[in-house]
Amino acid sequence: MRKLHSAVRGALCTAGIFALAVLLCVLLQRLNVPEHITTVIVFAVFLISLLTDGYVFGVVSALLGALAVNYAFTYPYFALDFLTPVNLISAGVLLTIAVLTGTLTTKLKRQEAARAEAEAERTRANLLRAVSHDLRTPLTTIYSASSTLLDRRDTLPPARQEEILRGIREDAEWLTRMVENLLSITRIDSGAVQILKAPTVLDELIDSVMTKFAKRYPGQAVRVEIPEEIVVIPMDATLIEQVLINLLENAVLHAAGMTELCLRVRVQGGKAVFEVADNGCGIPEEQLSALFSGLAPGAGAADGRRRSAGIGLSVCATIVRAHGGAIRAENRREGGAVFRFALQTEGEMDAEV
Amino acid sequence: MTNNRYKILVIEDEENLAAVLSTLLEGAGYQPIRAGTCALALTLYASHRPDLALLDLGLPDADGMRFLREVRRENRTPVIVLSARSNERDKVEALDAGANDYVTKPFSSAELLARIRSALRTFGPQEGRKPGAKFVLGDLSIDYEARRVCIRSQDVRLTQTEYNIVAFLSEHCGKMMTYSAIAKGVWGYFDEGCVKRLQVNMANIRRKFGVRLGENRYIANELGVGYRMNGERDE
Repeated sequence: MRKLHSAVRGALCTAGIFALAVLLCVLLQRLNVPEHITTVIVFAVFLISLLTDGYVFGVVSALLGALAVNYAFTYPYFALDFLTPVNLISAGVLLTIAVLTGTLTTKLKRQEAARAEAEAERTRANLLRAVSHDLRTPLTTIYSASSTLLDRRDTLPPARQEEILRGIREDAEWLTRMVENLLSITRIDSGAVQILKAPTVLDELIDSVMTKFAKRYPGQAVRVEIPEEIVVIPMDATLIEQVLINLLENAVLHAAGMTELCLRVRVQGGKAVFEVADNGCGIPEEQLSALFSGLAPGAGAADGRRRSAGIGLSVCATIVRAHGGAIRAENRREGGAVFRFALQTEGEMDAEV
Repeated sequence: MTNNRYKILVIEDEENLAAVLSTLLEGAGYQPIRAGTCALALTLYASHRPDLALLDLGLPDADGMRFLREVRRENRTPVIVLSARSNERDKVEALDAGANDYVTKPFSSAELLARIRSALRTFGPQEGRKPGAKFVLGDLSIDYEARRVCIRSQDVRLTQTEYNIVAFLSEHCGKMMTYSAIAKGVWGYFDEGCVKRLQVNMANIRRKFGVRLGENRYIANELGVGYRMNGERDE
């Protein structure tokens, strides 16, 4: 599928550039400046080799170019002549350019792929390091708090006991969320980046997200805006649900001074654009770039205690990437931050089924 | 005497969790019976005839599914599965094998008790639709004879399919119904396209009921698993 796509694109690219070049050559000949014709063809072959995958299109266009120059634009006109040394030389030059450019671009593309692979590996390693560090803090609290209760129950006033118990529950809840995030990542990262997409109705997704979010943060109101019509989106619903919950939770934990939290979905040119926007303190510019890498410097500074933002967000990035999209964060002009990603929709469906 | 308390069989091999569950159930006025293995659970089930069972699927001697299948051969005792989130397929399998509901680990005590109350209340011997019967859930009522659904005594105009889904869920009120169970009940078959069709209908039903997203009224939506008509108000 991908190969076919690349071949079609290559063929179109080759045909387009070549046609333009020939047109230009005809023009040059009309204008009586034929000495630049070879240069134009050379340039066209170079461009084609650069823009298409592999060697095939470059070599084909070089041969075509040599034939065209030979046949139409050099003496004897409109006749093939393989004996004149000039024609042979220009054919040779064209072929060499095509092969060299093809080799170079292929090599570059391979290097880029390797670099992306290394980048992904590094993200994973960062994530693991951050996770192990983050797991220890709540575990320590739970362990020492429960030990304290067991050992000194009789001497602690009830209010103190309750405080300690609440701490245990809070940290256990936090650990639960962390484990959920890790599970989501392993679902994607186990070998091939292959997720199971099923057509999901937007209403049902958002309903589930809002139910779960309300359970965790009963006091936090969220303004929900989704299209009137029924929208169907192929996705791994559990994972996308996780993304939206992470983003909402991230706003609650880190957007200091937030008074309004908004979850918006709009359909734009066959894509569903998801937005989680708050009107809190925004994100410092220097953190924006590292936000999704799992190692946001000073993430969690907003509440001084939790450093989990990096992990939640890098989970979001991983999930959205596995769906063929990208997630972005920016500060809103009116204050606060907005996180945005888009998924391909399946097209609208009739309301009556 | 304690004889009139509901008996709940707790099938869980993790000692700590079993102890906590027992304490919780006792505190709520139930009589817990603990079983750490599938074999023991079946023996205790036969001798005690519990009113409900809490079932952990990962047992040391056998899959918890075995208990479920054995029990379902002759009995309709409500079974609530305690499941880990990662196994969505397990949940669906357990529900399709006859489990009434599931709670995802880790769960809060309030959540578990609500599900237990709901299952006990709606799975009494009175299940099944009597002629001329009406279903009432808070301000929602269904007149099966007239095929009419009302909210706050206002008629809700549903399509045939929408009505059939609502009626089907209400007949199994309090029980989590998987996508395939609903599809089979409403359309008579289940295939890939059914989930989408069902979700589209559910979205329309929610809009017609005037329920906000995330409000979770009347019908609970378990994404990727199925739907449940709430058996208890204000859950």
